[in-house]
Amino acid sequence: MRSLLLLWSLAPLAWQLYTSLVTPEALVNGSGVAAGSFWTLENYRQVWLADPPIWRYLLNSAVVGGATTALTLTLAVPCAYGLQRQGGRLRWAVTLALLATAIFPTVLLFLALLQLARALGLANNLLALSLPYAALCLPLAVLLLRAAFAELPAELEDAARLEGLNLPRRLRHVLLPLLAPSLASTAILVFLFSWNEYPIALTWISRPELLTLPPAIARIAGSSLFTVPYGAFAAATVLGSLPLLLIVLIFQRSIVSGLTQGAIKG
Amino acid sequence: MIEAMPVITTNPAAGLRIEGLSRHIGGRSLLSDLNLQVAPGECLALLGPSGCGKTTTLRLLAGLDAASAGRILLDGDDISRLSAGDRRVAMVFQSYALYPHLSVADNLALGLRIRGMGAREREERIAAVLELLQLSELRLRRPAQLSGGQRQRVALARALLRQPRLVLLDEPMSNLDAQLREELRPELRRLLCGGEQPVVYVTHDQQEAMGMADRIAVLRDGHLQQVGSARELYERPANRFVAAFLGRPAINLLPPEAGRQLGLRPEHLQPVASGGIPARLQRREWWGNQQLLWLESARGDLRLLVAADLELPEDLQLGWRPDHELWFDSHSGERLAGP
Repeated sequence: MRSLLLLWSLAPLAWQLYTSLVTPEALVNGSGVAAGSFWTLENYRQVWLADPPIWRYLLNSAVVGGATTALTLTLAVPCAYGLQRQGGRLRWAVTLALLATAIFPTVLLFLALLQLARALGLANNLLALSLPYAALCLPLAVLLLRAAFAELPAELEDAARLEGLNLPRRLRHVLLPLLAPSLASTAILVFLFSWNEYPIALTWISRPELLTLPPAIARIAGSSLFTVPYGAFAAATVLGSLPLLLIVLIFQRSIVSGLTQGAIKG
Repeated sequence: MIEAMPVITTNPAAGLRIEGLSRHIGGRSLLSDLNLQVAPGECLALLGPSGCGKTTTLRLLAGLDAASAGRILLDGDDISRLSAGDRRVAMVFQSYALYPHLSVADNLALGLRIRGMGAREREERIAAVLELLQLSELRLRRPAQLSGGQRQRVALARALLRQPRLVLLDEPMSNLDAQLREELRPELRRLLCGGEQPVVYVTHDQQEAMGMADRIAVLRDGHLQQVGSARELYERPANRFVAAFLGRPAINLLPPEAGRQLGLRPEHLQPVASGGIPARLQRREWWGNQQLLWLESARGDLRLLVAADLELPEDLQLGWRPDHELWFDSHSGERLAGP
């Protein structure tokens, strides 16, 4: 069962990797190609040396992703805390509203967002792109973090209050370190959303050197009139997935580790 | 000539004074008009069943919740309006509430660092407290790597470290096993009581209250029932609730007659040759040092606590000394002076 699941989720990736590493002839003809012209790094060379090169798009996406994540968490942490600790009767109304916005199909928004970008002069600005991204990620982030706050024992914060820690200090020294696993997993979700987002990026950004990865990769497909450059396409996709893989590997331990273990009786 | 006697001045304002403390939420009253005094160095236990308002009282004293009415005076200063961090009140929580991501030493250091104490003084103070509680070996461990008893001692160390004006303990031993509780009781008393600060100790365990506290305040549904030494409460309970709450096995309450009800402690009933209540032995619990007998009589079921080696027949008669009788008004529950 486990190997079946692995096959299910890894096979497309493996296929992508394979496609990126073979010549177009090998892709079409398979075993009928001479051994010398089967494997190649030409596809990578092509996307790396293109104008603008792929690393430029990676950088753009990283900037947007970083800004989106920072903005989302900065707003979501106080919001989640307030909702959890002070919500009162309003809490459920706000939580329901958040849930409704979290599941709203974002595609329906992008025309309105385009109007906004025009009216406010936010087009072709990478940091501005993080505004709609953060707005779309906030509901889910708040819901996730609120649940995380709810799981922290209230007595921990009481103890910190008695020791004279005000709210910012309680957050910094006690609550946020304990929330690190939840913060990391929320951050990854937000970053992932921003990394993969296509329609808004497509409409808000038109200058080639400012494109983020998804529209840029789509451009590779449309760059040639008569052939579909499968190899270059796959190479760009592989390069685009590597940073994500790296991030998840780095944060994997803090996501999984149960830091709050032992806070209450053992 | 008679020399003037030295006048012993005890500052009447010293210690903790609670005046008319109340807390209501919505239409519900959690605590009503509590008045109490705790002298410096005295340990007062708040005792009662769950929901009686004892933890509410503690949180009001700590400043963690806001009072609806009343004042809290500490050495004459009204601290009711101060925030929790400014009261210099230390609290030991039932769950210990140690910061799980910090080592023992860092757990202790956090509060001092926030108050701007220099690294050198901080180190000295922490070392002293760790030494006092025999925790020096564990200074670099995380709370998860400590046993329950050790965690409790760290929580205690954190409370003592700040040289508080008032120490509050919320069921500090209820997560420990019975044997450890018994061992820790004298240690807790030695560390906390008899100093300069008043100590308020919340528990639902009467044995702990009797063993730890100089005086006990019994609460029920947010109302103070009685304050006094363990002995006063046991021998002269203010009402039926206090009589029934204190003492295990619980007091025998005979069926009410003419608006009055007689209470008799199980250890005060004795088998007599004649003239007592006829009773029949139902069940026997043998405890090693004593035995508890369950009897059926015309005056209801009775519990009788006697020496472990006493052999009794199935049918017997029970008597008691008149001065052991506790009479209660069967409606109000208040204790009456006599029959």
